[in-house]
Amino acid sequence: MAIEIPTLPEQMPNDASRYVGKAVNRVEDPALVSGTVEFIDNFSLPGMLHCAILRSPHPHARILSVKVDAALAAEGVAAVLTGEDVGRWCNPCFTAPEGWGNYCLAVGKVRFVGEPVVAVAASSRYLAEDALELVDIEYELLPPVADAGQAMASGAPLVFEERGTNVMLDRTYTWGELERVFAEADRVVSRRFRWNRVGANPTETFGCVCRWDLADNSLVCHGAYQTPRFMAIGRAASLNLPVNRVRIVTHPQGGGFGGKGGPRGTDIAALLSRKSGGRPVKYIEDRMEYLLAGGGQSWDRHYDAALAVKADGTVTGFRVRLVDDQGAGAEGYGTISAAKPLAAFTGNYRIEAAGYELTLVATNRAPTYPYRGYGPPPHNLVLESLMDCTAREMGIDPAELRRRNYIRPEQFPYTVPSGNEYDSGDYHAVLDRVLQMADYDALRAFQAEARAAGRLVGIGVVNTVEPGVFDWNAYATVGVPGVGVPEGVKVAVDLFGGVTVAVGFSLQGQGQFTVASQVAADYFGIDIAQVRVATTPSDVAVPHFGQGGSRLGVAVTGAILGACEKLRAMFCTVAAHVMQAPEGGVELRNGCLRRIDAPEHSMSLAEIAGLMLSRSDLLPPGIEPCPEATYVWTAPNRNAPDDQGRCRSYLTAANATHVAVIEIDRDTGRSAILDYFIVDDCGTRLNPANVEGQLQGGVAQGVGAALYEEYVYDADCQPLVSTFVDYLMPTIHEVPMTKKDHIVTPSPVSPLGAKGCGEGAIHTTPATILCAINDALAPLGKELLETPASPHRVWKLLHEDGAAA
Amino acid sequence: MKPAPFDYHAPATIDEAVALLARLDGEGRDAKILAGGQSLMPMLALRVARPEILVDLRRLGTLDYIRDEAGTLAIGAMTSKQAAADSALVRRAQPLFQAATELVGHRQIRNRGSVGGSFAHADPASEYPAVALVLDTGFEAAGPDGSRTIAAADFFITYMTTALEPTEILTAVRFAPFPAGRRWAIEEFARRNGDLALAGVTVTFDVDAGLCRNVRIAAFGVQATALRLTAAEALLEGRPAQAAQFDAASKEAAAALDDPMSCIHASSAYRRHLVGVLTARALGQAAARPH
Amino acid sequence: MPNKQRVEVRVNGTRYVREVEPRLTLADFLRHELNLGGTHVGCEHGICGACTVLVDERSARACLTLAVQADGCGITTVEGLRDPSSGALHPIQQAFVDGHGLQCGFCTPGFMMTTLELLRCTPDPSEEQIKEALGGNLCRCTGYQSILDSVKLAAQRMKPSTPA
Repeated sequence: MAIEIPTLPEQMPNDASRYVGKAVNRVEDPALVSGTVEFIDNFSLPGMLHCAILRSPHPHARILSVKVDAALAAEGVAAVLTGEDVGRWCNPCFTAPEGWGNYCLAVGKVRFVGEPVVAVAASSRYLAEDALELVDIEYELLPPVADAGQAMASGAPLVFEERGTNVMLDRTYTWGELERVFAEADRVVSRRFRWNRVGANPTETFGCVCRWDLADNSLVCHGAYQTPRFMAIGRAASLNLPVNRVRIVTHPQGGGFGGKGGPRGTDIAALLSRKSGGRPVKYIEDRMEYLLAGGGQSWDRHYDAALAVKADGTVTGFRVRLVDDQGAGAEGYGTISAAKPLAAFTGNYRIEAAGYELTLVATNRAPTYPYRGYGPPPHNLVLESLMDCTAREMGIDPAELRRRNYIRPEQFPYTVPSGNEYDSGDYHAVLDRVLQMADYDALRAFQAEARAAGRLVGIGVVNTVEPGVFDWNAYATVGVPGVGVPEGVKVAVDLFGGVTVAVGFSLQGQGQFTVASQVAADYFGIDIAQVRVATTPSDVAVPHFGQGGSRLGVAVTGAILGACEKLRAMFCTVAAHVMQAPEGGVELRNGCLRRIDAPEHSMSLAEIAGLMLSRSDLLPPGIEPCPEATYVWTAPNRNAPDDQGRCRSYLTAANATHVAVIEIDRDTGRSAILDYFIVDDCGTRLNPANVEGQLQGGVAQGVGAALYEEYVYDADCQPLVSTFVDYLMPTIHEVPMTKKDHIVTPSPVSPLGAKGCGEGAIHTTPATILCAINDALAPLGKELLETPASPHRVWKLLHEDGAAA
Repeated sequence: MKPAPFDYHAPATIDEAVALLARLDGEGRDAKILAGGQSLMPMLALRVARPEILVDLRRLGTLDYIRDEAGTLAIGAMTSKQAAADSALVRRAQPLFQAATELVGHRQIRNRGSVGGSFAHADPASEYPAVALVLDTGFEAAGPDGSRTIAAADFFITYMTTALEPTEILTAVRFAPFPAGRRWAIEEFARRNGDLALAGVTVTFDVDAGLCRNVRIAAFGVQATALRLTAAEALLEGRPAQAAQFDAASKEAAAALDDPMSCIHASSAYRRHLVGVLTARALGQAAARPH
Repeated sequence: MPNKQRVEVRVNGTRYVREVEPRLTLADFLRHELNLGGTHVGCEHGICGACTVLVDERSARACLTLAVQADGCGITTVEGLRDPSSGALHPIQQAFVDGHGLQCGFCTPGFMMTTLELLRCTPDPSEEQIKEALGGNLCRCTGYQSILDSVKLAAQRMKPSTPA
């Protein structure tokens, strides 16, 4: 029987939602504010050892010899792991595109500063770090590939010699009649952009506790994992274990934002456990390790892009050439983020043709990883900056130029040239609302006044589409197989009517346990306190993925509703049997199973579940004594991509428009955010407080990327950022307290009409800030096309010809 | 990121501490003094600093005081920065030092960080050495041969190096009386609020019949140690306390600098430029300050 | 082998005596010697503020303090916030829950301990004073707006004049 998932809250079996759509307090929070949550470093096992890792000081070098005798003899040391062990026991990690993976410890040569070379397990982290100082490694330095340009130069040193090239992927996508629209354009607006490396930097670094059971030849890894089952498969592959002998137990995480997983750290701790006779080994990545070599560096991009524009401001074509510096290998799946823009390549606009030339290159920088938003934050910066350049060149207000090009409300569902289908939206309404909230005309008047006084004040108006609910098919084009990402739950009703939702993921901050509780409580008409959400180990959990790609809120809602629908059918059958009603004569409403013909006859959830668990003699034939149901939700109607990567990939298309007002200090180059407005539309807001938290948090990270954060490498490929003194994340002083409003266009295709909303703000904020900065600079005839817009960078631009001195 | 091992002593008196340092020095051992630890601890954690022995001054409660000694403000070296920032006496007697103290890090840092520790650490990006240069701060050190006072001009040698001997402990800082009506300001530029400054400037001067007198200008965050900008001072001395003069002095302040430092956040040229901007701002702010 | 040091502290009202290596940080001491894991460690070099605790009623970064430096001190950690008999959340904790002042919650103990000191010293803080106090604590999730609101809510609820 096909399961119908309600696409609106009103379709749930109650008269009114008590929780869905309301800013209910999070079920996660009492434990979090009490400090009692079991983050991985709060977890330990008897006899546990502590791992420390010696890392390469060189970007590119051959390992000539490794001497570990002294370390092995040091106080408290139980095991030392070297590349020799790893080469014998492991495989390099799988990558997409294939064949660009490293071993967990360097074998033969090191490819980036911070690459693990030797690891020690000792009775304390202090002693383990002491022992590392006794390791002696002899290197032969190799010339580094310091940046993307060097990587593509002929005769460049090779990061992976066996590949014969540093180019991992080089391909061109053409969607629509690109040549024609550019040939017929009245104006072509082109620019080059540079987006420097930034990264996730959750407050908690990665950590794990691994135990290799030598008798059973099985592995249990506790840790901060955002995609447990995916991690289990990866560990099985790299450590040569059957998948069903790897158990990943994911713990609550102190933030994720993409790179939370630590495959290298896990493999190293696992092998140290194996080498120390099966003792558990804890590895907690420290901040310096994270900054140098953790899952935290993303988007090292060089863009060359153009818009084709007609005389009336209609944009007809968008062409992008991207060279993406992946660092030393594809182990972090930073590669596939360059494919994500296909899901919303042309943003909010009716652009008829587009092209994407994509080159992924390997260098001796640290490997890149996913970061919130994946590919679109830089991509949107390019598209939206070009829209502003066009507006300036044509003398059209930037908001008006955008409005003219919007996909119209009646055009949904709308297929973009790059293949994805947007489910719904009303971009004009969002723009109207934000311009009204910001009092746009007054802002422009203020700007004119400020300019007259010699001040550099700019306004950015930027809109984006947020592809929500990711699917593997979006990444097929760079070598990821599969269609459909499962999210499964088990919903169980106990004999007192309590409901347990077993999921495959753990806390990470987005409040999914709360959303899960809201949905289950409303479905069964029970108090939210009667719902319990619990994490299941990867090997026994229902197929699942976990956090990633703005999908889990929607996906887990779908999974719970699917399981609830199955339970409803089961409970109605049981209730009809015991109440002697005709088949199909009982319905679930407001938490009661009641006779349709005589609603005064009803049974509670607890009565039915209790009966099922304790009176099998009363059950109808074919009904098991099991008031539980599993359901694995995956987005409906997905398809395999064509030869140009086109497919229905991300299920939902939320959108937002941001307005930023910025003033640049001519003397210092510092940009101050004077005001910031957001209107968004992510469909049904399951928990409005969660949504606002996602927006504001994304703004903060966007501010960081636009103005403060940067992983700097010198000309010799040495990283110059290894502490929080150098990597500048915004504090409470730097993040604007935004003014927010929203409209609601429920998705017609998603559970309860909700759209993915975890990434929209970071998709939009960097572009908004840069557009505002360039608006401020416009009277000087200058443009900044590189991020972050640090004071130094802006000052150099202002003073390169003495213009603003 | 854990400190390398070290031995630890927490002497109960200054005499005991000095004797201990003398003994360790005699044995050729590498001892380091621990005051609040807010600068030293990160260096230990990163194993950039790895002394054999830490001599912790935390039991020297006699070095925790703020008092008026016949018009001279004396602050014990182990007084916390937050106590100095909160002190009405400090605010009244040495408003510039009080303002500079509020600029140091965040409250958690100021609570544990000592006044003496920052001076002895002599981080070129710290506000304190520059302020000491303009305020005629005297540094009292206790050593095996007794006590001596070192003038600020002689105290800061170079990058994180002072005139203190390995066997000496900084016990107090003393500020010459700050004349009523003296103008002052401290201006700094940091990437974020609370970060170490990429550049900073502090000024004091008197205005006598509209003319600047006793001009002192010092910069921090620019070179290996804080420094007086004497060329700019000379340019302003005896000149009208007016914007045009401030502008000329600030241009001179920037121009006269020897090669400023360079880092990922600021090139040498940018730092030089910032010194000019900050000097102009500090002079303007000082002149405009109600008093 | 370095000389071990005796450390006697009173944490959340309970007295503890331990012999520790001098290099042990207060953060590691609280977390791993005393099993008080609510004090989280985010950077170990004094920037993020996640490990903020009160030492003798004053906020301190536990990663920038050695356990031996805390000898003889009274320490308050997040575990000391709840009412010990009723288990009720402290008004600051409740305000963070009600104000959605956290997401992943890893930095939250540090923010709350900083807030505790702020509201003791400044019971009716202005927005600027709150920002000044919280400027040394990094949060990567919330963008700080809900934290600011939560602290305002806590201040309002803890004001002596406000009826319970």
